[in-house]
Amino acid sequence: MTFLVPLPVVIPLLGAAITLLLTRRPRAQRTVSLTALSATLLVSLALLMLSTQDGALAVAVGGWGPLGIVLVADQLAALMLVVSSAVTLCVLVYSIGQGLVDGAEDTPLSVYHPTYLILTAGVTNAFLSGDLFNLYVGFEILLVASYVLLTLGSTENRIRAGTTYVVVSLLSSLIFLTALGLVYAATGTLNMAQLVDRLDALPDNLRLVLQGMLLLAFGIKAAVFPLSSWLPDSYPTAPAPVTAVFAGLLTKVGVYAIIRTETLLFPGGRVADLLLVVALLTMVVGILGAVAQSDIKRLLSFTLISHIGYLLLGIGLSTTAGLSASIFYTAHHIVVQTTLFLVAGLIELRGGATALDRLGGLARLSPLLGVLFLVPALNLAGIPPFSGFLGKVGLFQAAAGVGGWLAWALVAGGAVTSLLTLYAIARVWNLAFWRTPNPAMPGVPPAEGSALECVPAVSVSVQGAMVPVSAGDERVFESSAPSSDSDSDSDSEDGPTLLPAMMVAPTIALVALGVALTVLAGPLFGIAESSAKDLIGRDAYVQTVADLPEVGQ
Amino acid sequence: MLVLLVIHAAVALIAPALVRAIGGRGLYLVALAPAGAAVWAAAHIGRTATETVEWIPQLGLSLAFRLDTLSWLLVLLVGGVGALVLAYCAHYVGDRGEQARHAGLLVAFAGTMLGLVLADDLLLLYVFWELTSVLSYLLIASDPGRRVARRAAMQALLVTTLGGLAMLVGIVMLGAGTGTHRWSELAQSPPAGTWGTVAVVLILAGALAKSAILPFGAWLPAAMAAPTPVSAYLHAAAMVKAGVFLVALLAPAFAGVLAWQLLTVGAGLATLIFAGLAALRQHDLKLLLAYGTVSQLGLLVAVLGAGTRAAALAGLTLVLAHALFKSALFLTVGAVDHATGTRDLRKLSGLGRRLPMLAVAATLAAASMAGAPPLLGFLGKEALFAAFATGEPADTAALIAMVLGATLTVGYSLRFLWGAFGTKPGVVPVEHPHAPGPGLLAAPVLLSAAGLAGGLAARPIESALEPYPLMLDGVGVHLALWHGLSLPLGLTVLALAGGYGVFRLTRDRVKSEKISAGAWVYEQALRGVDRLAVELTGATQRGSLPGYLGVILIVLVVIAGTVLAVGAPWPTEFRVWDTPLQAVAGVAIIAAAIGAVRAQRRLAAFVLAGAAGYAVSMLFILHGAPDLALTQALVETAGIVMAVLVLRRLPAKFSERPLRASRRWRIVLGVSVGLAAAGMAFVTSGGRTATPVSERFADLSVSYGGGSNIVNVILVDIRAWDTMGEISVLVVAATGVASLIFQRTSALRRRAETPAPKRALAAWTGKEDSVIMQVVTRLIFHTIVLFSIYLLLSGHNAPGGGFAGGLVAALALTVRYLAGGRRELNRAAPVDAGVVLGTGLLIAVGTGVGAMLLGGQVLQTAIVDIHVPLLGDLHVATSTIFDVGVYLIVVGLILDILRSLGAEPQPSVTEETSETQEQDREKVTA
Repeated sequence: MTFLVPLPVVIPLLGAAITLLLTRRPRAQRTVSLTALSATLLVSLALLMLSTQDGALAVAVGGWGPLGIVLVADQLAALMLVVSSAVTLCVLVYSIGQGLVDGAEDTPLSVYHPTYLILTAGVTNAFLSGDLFNLYVGFEILLVASYVLLTLGSTENRIRAGTTYVVVSLLSSLIFLTALGLVYAATGTLNMAQLVDRLDALPDNLRLVLQGMLLLAFGIKAAVFPLSSWLPDSYPTAPAPVTAVFAGLLTKVGVYAIIRTETLLFPGGRVADLLLVVALLTMVVGILGAVAQSDIKRLLSFTLISHIGYLLLGIGLSTTAGLSASIFYTAHHIVVQTTLFLVAGLIELRGGATALDRLGGLARLSPLLGVLFLVPALNLAGIPPFSGFLGKVGLFQAAAGVGGWLAWALVAGGAVTSLLTLYAIARVWNLAFWRTPNPAMPGVPPAEGSALECVPAVSVSVQGAMVPVSAGDERVFESSAPSSDSDSDSDSEDGPTLLPAMMVAPTIALVALGVALTVLAGPLFGIAESSAKDLIGRDAYVQTVADLPEVGQ
Repeated sequence: MLVLLVIHAAVALIAPALVRAIGGRGLYLVALAPAGAAVWAAAHIGRTATETVEWIPQLGLSLAFRLDTLSWLLVLLVGGVGALVLAYCAHYVGDRGEQARHAGLLVAFAGTMLGLVLADDLLLLYVFWELTSVLSYLLIASDPGRRVARRAAMQALLVTTLGGLAMLVGIVMLGAGTGTHRWSELAQSPPAGTWGTVAVVLILAGALAKSAILPFGAWLPAAMAAPTPVSAYLHAAAMVKAGVFLVALLAPAFAGVLAWQLLTVGAGLATLIFAGLAALRQHDLKLLLAYGTVSQLGLLVAVLGAGTRAAALAGLTLVLAHALFKSALFLTVGAVDHATGTRDLRKLSGLGRRLPMLAVAATLAAASMAGAPPLLGFLGKEALFAAFATGEPADTAALIAMVLGATLTVGYSLRFLWGAFGTKPGVVPVEHPHAPGPGLLAAPVLLSAAGLAGGLAARPIESALEPYPLMLDGVGVHLALWHGLSLPLGLTVLALAGGYGVFRLTRDRVKSEKISAGAWVYEQALRGVDRLAVELTGATQRGSLPGYLGVILIVLVVIAGTVLAVGAPWPTEFRVWDTPLQAVAGVAIIAAAIGAVRAQRRLAAFVLAGAAGYAVSMLFILHGAPDLALTQALVETAGIVMAVLVLRRLPAKFSERPLRASRRWRIVLGVSVGLAAAGMAFVTSGGRTATPVSERFADLSVSYGGGSNIVNVILVDIRAWDTMGEISVLVVAATGVASLIFQRTSALRRRAETPAPKRALAAWTGKEDSVIMQVVTRLIFHTIVLFSIYLLLSGHNAPGGGFAGGLVAALALTVRYLAGGRRELNRAAPVDAGVVLGTGLLIAVGTGVGAMLLGGQVLQTAIVDIHVPLLGDLHVATSTIFDVGVYLIVVGLILDILRSLGAEPQPSVTEETSETQEQDREKVTA
């Protein structure tokens, strides 16, 4: 069944090629994209099943054995594939619903479909790669695709945000590439399974140089403090589904790379304490950033950073319990963070903004939206019984198992982070969902708006100054988006009709997926635990690659 | 037991729809769920039961439930009071939407409470524990338009969760210390020593926060923003009992720990006194009850925390009594509020005569609260005094505090009755109260009656509760209305008499509007967090791209510098160069790079960067890699051409340069990074011991890859997977150009209705198009394209390949475009860029899939020998097909760039462009 292994990369790329050929035939493009991503999801599920039953699967591309590029689908990779392809599929449906996918009529080529599919291929390639340079290629694919998606519509804000993002990403790629050069210089290979022995043979401090550089490169991508400042300045400006998929997936690819390289290439935890300190700082500084925000999207960007700290905690502990909790938490966090950004998009559509001072009363205007926000938000805040809580408990238990003041400091930091996350999202709920609706919001009956508590003068004046500019900029790009429909419906009080089904349905699906992670937490933790054991054992991975036929056989 | 929870969950899900459909009556149906739980408990009197379903064995978390005396009592209360409150709600809230919401949330809450008291697994208990916090948050702000309500909800949520998280850490510690979270197992061998003490103190923090014990007490009075039935259930009978329950649960194992005694008995008694005093100053009847509740909870925690057999029986009896009388009193306040529209005792007068039934019920409940015979509260209080009348100093001190507390309790009980029903001189009596119907009266009457019945049924109650005290050491007591003339009776009389005195003394005192200490601490803490957050974020999130890059580079220098300094294995041998020409190339690279950074003009900077690239290609040649050199040179050329196309839109010079100081600091950082990189490269390349994989590439390229150009074989065969990835990057670059330049400019053009662009070269040079140039380019065009195809096809064995070939073809197109603009370009390549790119990607990826379909590995190469007439035998590797894909993608990318750039509205003079853009933007925004 090893023929399945390259498919999660190949299928989206074929899809991208076909959608390019189908430029200006949007309906056919949609069919192709949806089919490609559904097929990717199915293949990923099959890979997860197979790797759980029979151990990792590997393929040597072109039959070159370990001399060329190998692709390895072990349980960790397969789990990440399943979660990421489920998420990308949902986000695709959402972006179709939002009308994001249709470009201008006379474009020389269509933008959204091929770019999005290639982004997916980059992500899956990064998960499957058994070769450090190919991992870099995976990063390049997803990064370049993300540059395009981030600046969709080319509004000024997006270009400015895109500049920060692109330049920082280029620097991180440069560092990664330098690190690859160093690794090859020192060992003569970039095949990860081969690197295991060759790195072990190097002097300790030489290995430390390589480890440090790779960690730095991945740390930027994973948005680890103090390398994280670029993220809140760039992600929130993109269209909601784009931010959603970035927030959910891209940073996690960095985390995945850290997990993979730290366990396989640099075991022994020489930088474990450093990782733990960084984890603590990331958590606390990140969540304080969230507390300071008054815009939902920006706030969510900071919670994203903060919870990367949780993931690092498990990695830094470098025990089976810690790693398996981190792996579980990664799956959880991909889903929940993506969901919340999609919900933020719905809020923007329904309430006309994501700034807290312009929102209010959403719980009553659209109870469905309330549920869709509250469930993943509580999940993010680690409220039981949701998966966020389970992951957090796993991490705390792992830290308790290791002991020592640093581990306990992280437990305390984790608890504080959890509380502050709850504070941040409860504030969103209080203001955006509970407070009396702002009369300027679409769909608020005028009588209600005028009769209720007044909006602070500041926000009114801000609206007056800002609305024409930003709305105008948006229109350049989103003129075909259904958001403009909301104006015509603004007299009706019936909330849900304002939200297109194609946007709500995938959001519901993701909320349900988050709940499913809770219900299926037992088997999932089983997978996470056996992945963690394989990661720490290292032999399974090395053996799988070693068992590949030699060149030409 | 799991079935009970599932039923509650299901009812909670359908309740809102049900109530919306059939109105308030639906609440009676909904109430059947908690009523069922109470009936189930009644049927299980005196029995124990367990039930376990595995959930997450890795975390040691299972759905383990266990029924014993303690949980039995609480199931009875939660179910019974829950059913009555739901029925009461059917008549209390008018708005159907709100009723529907309450129905769902209250049933969910009842189910959660059941789970909490039945859970044997402490982690599972925590799951329900936090859920009650969230449900209480949602229930408190039932009128969320009010700022006070929202803030109170948030305060309750944050304070209880703060305690909850401490508790979670405590539970994790217990689990880590003993390997289990099951209380039934933990209780057998509780962890001792510091570890156990810290764990239990953390858990207690959760319990105290939940039960509003000092120093966490402030959230409960604030939570009175909730509708009265919600308060009656959550904040009197059920949720706040969770802390008391936990104390009672843990007491048998931990009562011997000193810290435990200090926290439970100490904090509990302090709360009893302080909250009792506060209750005497309230004028809002509901707040009076709220402070009374806090005070009573303090007492319960103290009694159950003491952990003696006698105290345990007294404690459980008081838990039962308190749930009955306090919810009855809250519901009474609800009825009063409903009848008169106020809860302010300064405005109520003469209500006792108007609503006699309610007054009687309230009097019974208040008497039970005051501990007057023959009510259940009296039984509990007598047993309590007896339990602590041991003569030991600590017990005596506690006893004194309890009598004092009882005195205050009598005082505010009287204040409540007087306030609600008394006739006050100088206050206009309520003449025509909106008399509560039987629906509103039923619940308080039934609950008060239960308190009376309980008082008369001392023996059955004692036997039902007995198993719990038997788990503890010490002498037991018995519940009875008449113990003879004993010390406890004397103390009760003292408390009753003293309480009357207190009531008379404080009757007319009203609390000043000063904020309480607990609320002040909460406010300050929250404000402090907010300020810290803003300041810290302001410091770390400066919004400056150079700043962010600086941080990253500093980290790089620190990492590399530290390791290199602490002892990286420096090679002993140092070879300067293989050939001096390398030094020339190196100097050229450095000079060009410095020049590029120092350049004032954009074009110069680009050209110098290109020069550095050419110098790199020279290094490639010196290493014997002409193919790489060719590709690099072509890339640099294409890059400069594209840059020129872009630069004509921008001002010729860079904008203001940074200040001298920051420039100096950037130079230092740049040099450090360079040194660090060089140092690392030096160290790592000196450390190699293994043979590089590329050693075998030379043979295998020919024998397995079927080509003698090793670079090309690497690109299209050995590492074709990488190449496939990189060409998809090119595709994306093309979409990016289309998105960034074409879509934006065409959107602007549509709006601004600017004329179609002039021909590119003409616009660029400002002259009319040159016929000679067009003719010349047409003449050489086909030759160049043919050459590019040659490069493509011969690339497997000689320098060239798809990438280089594609670039050459693309340059040919570029020349046509420069000479004749879009028209010439369209004539030269009458296809969509998208089609070219799509075809290329399809061919490249298709080669990989094709190999799989033919039974090989993905992207595996087959070598085919074909006999072609005239040409003879051809030796072809299928990887050439892959290379065709690469070729097409490169051509497609350049085509796309040229088309997109050609779509600009006014690609000529800078000022003009920016002016039109300004105008465009204005039109757009207008």
